[in-house]
Amino acid sequence: MLVTWKYRPRNTFIQRLDPRTRLIFMVCIIFALTIPDIWDFRIILPLLLISLTLYLLARIEWKDVKRAWLYIFILVFFIVGLNGLLSGRGGPSSVTDISSPVLFEVPIKIPFTELGWDIPVTVSKAWFALNQMSRMLCMAILAIPIPYTVDPNIYGTSFKRMGASDNVSFTMDLAFRFLPTFARDLMITMDAQRARGYEMDKLKGGIIARLQRLAPLIIPVVMQSTVTGEEVIDAMDLRAFGTGRRTWLKDLKYAPRDYIVLGIGVAIFITCCILKWGFGIGGFFVPEFFTRLLVR
Amino acid sequence: MNDKSTWEFGTRQVVYGAIGAALYGVFSWATNIFPLPAAGNITFRPAVAVLIFFGAAYGPWVGLLAGFIGNTLGDALSGWGFYWNWSLGNGLMGMIAGLAMAAIHDFRARSDIIKAVGWGAAGIAVGMLFASLTEMFVGGIDFKTALVGYFTPAFIGNLIVTVILLPILMIAFAAVAARRGR
Repeated sequence: MLVTWKYRPRNTFIQRLDPRTRLIFMVCIIFALTIPDIWDFRIILPLLLISLTLYLLARIEWKDVKRAWLYIFILVFFIVGLNGLLSGRGGPSSVTDISSPVLFEVPIKIPFTELGWDIPVTVSKAWFALNQMSRMLCMAILAIPIPYTVDPNIYGTSFKRMGASDNVSFTMDLAFRFLPTFARDLMITMDAQRARGYEMDKLKGGIIARLQRLAPLIIPVVMQSTVTGEEVIDAMDLRAFGTGRRTWLKDLKYAPRDYIVLGIGVAIFITCCILKWGFGIGGFFVPEFFTRLLVR
Repeated sequence: MNDKSTWEFGTRQVVYGAIGAALYGVFSWATNIFPLPAAGNITFRPAVAVLIFFGAAYGPWVGLLAGFIGNTLGDALSGWGFYWNWSLGNGLMGMIAGLAMAAIHDFRARSDIIKAVGWGAAGIAVGMLFASLTEMFVGGIDFKTALVGYFTPAFIGNLIVTVILLPILMIAFAAVAARRGR
């Protein structure tokens, strides 16, 4: 089995955007939420809607992303959401304000002992958990479509055009080229070892024994790659790599739509900073309607 | 066996940075597809030993690039998106492990293997601590969750993998390098 990127050309608005635009826009949203420390749903909700719109515009088939969504669901709802709901920590200190009405209490007992305590779940914690999940989803949703919608051949060019050095850009480019080759090597090695009686699916013994039994898979692939590396270095040295400025075969040009999307991204970041630091808007608070909804 | 100018960033570092990244990505992806059962919420990523090895063999720049790009590739291949803080944490892990390069003279010698494992452990501690603590700002978790829920399992799992697999990789590399004469 040869691993290839899940990239497929689709005639969508998202794929017509310059990959730099999408990467910079994603960074703008992440920074807009994290640098001024935004916890206000009036800001988070519109940003989540923008992220969701861009995701839907990518038109990725559900079968391609269902595994990714399962992982995100577990991470966001069970780890981040439950943590927020029970502890209320990780955000502003006002979340754990004791004056917030208690919805119910979760009894926690230490097994085999009489020790235990009741954790109050307050309106404030519930609202915080919702905000925290929305905040995380907002950032994750922008990243999911990237491997499905950006041509692997233009990652190197994209980073070069974003100001990375030739060396760093070429490392990116080479890594993407090597990836399917090494994945194929790993699969071939797995098949070859299985033919010799190696049971990959039934690694027996303790932790140490199980890890040691992975060596027949890892060592051949890694050592072969070091040999390949020497050949690539020779080839690159023969072509005088690193002696002067490089040119790149694929060129990227911003279109008007890219400037619009970039402008929106930068505007979002600046607006969040001004709202928080200039007007004090963007901090955590529980809206009246939510308290009324839960406490009757 | 390798060039000892630790902070050089030339063709060799570009190529091995890319190879390390691709291998780290592929092995991370393979572990995500076929997870290794472990104790509690500790997960083993054998790929970490490969990353530490590339750092120790080819230097800190290779470790940084292999860790950062490799983690990004592994997450992208598994369809998990991009978590910049974990990618940077993995990069730091490889970079600090790469500081061992100047101290390693013989990949077969016990003392050099111990040095590589020691620097690897330091790299794992710094890298995973960075990623776990930044998760407080990115994911909104609290300090206790960052330390107990994220850092501790990641540190223990990665350390065990490194202690077991890194010496095997180093001994195998010594044989390959001796055969090729570089």
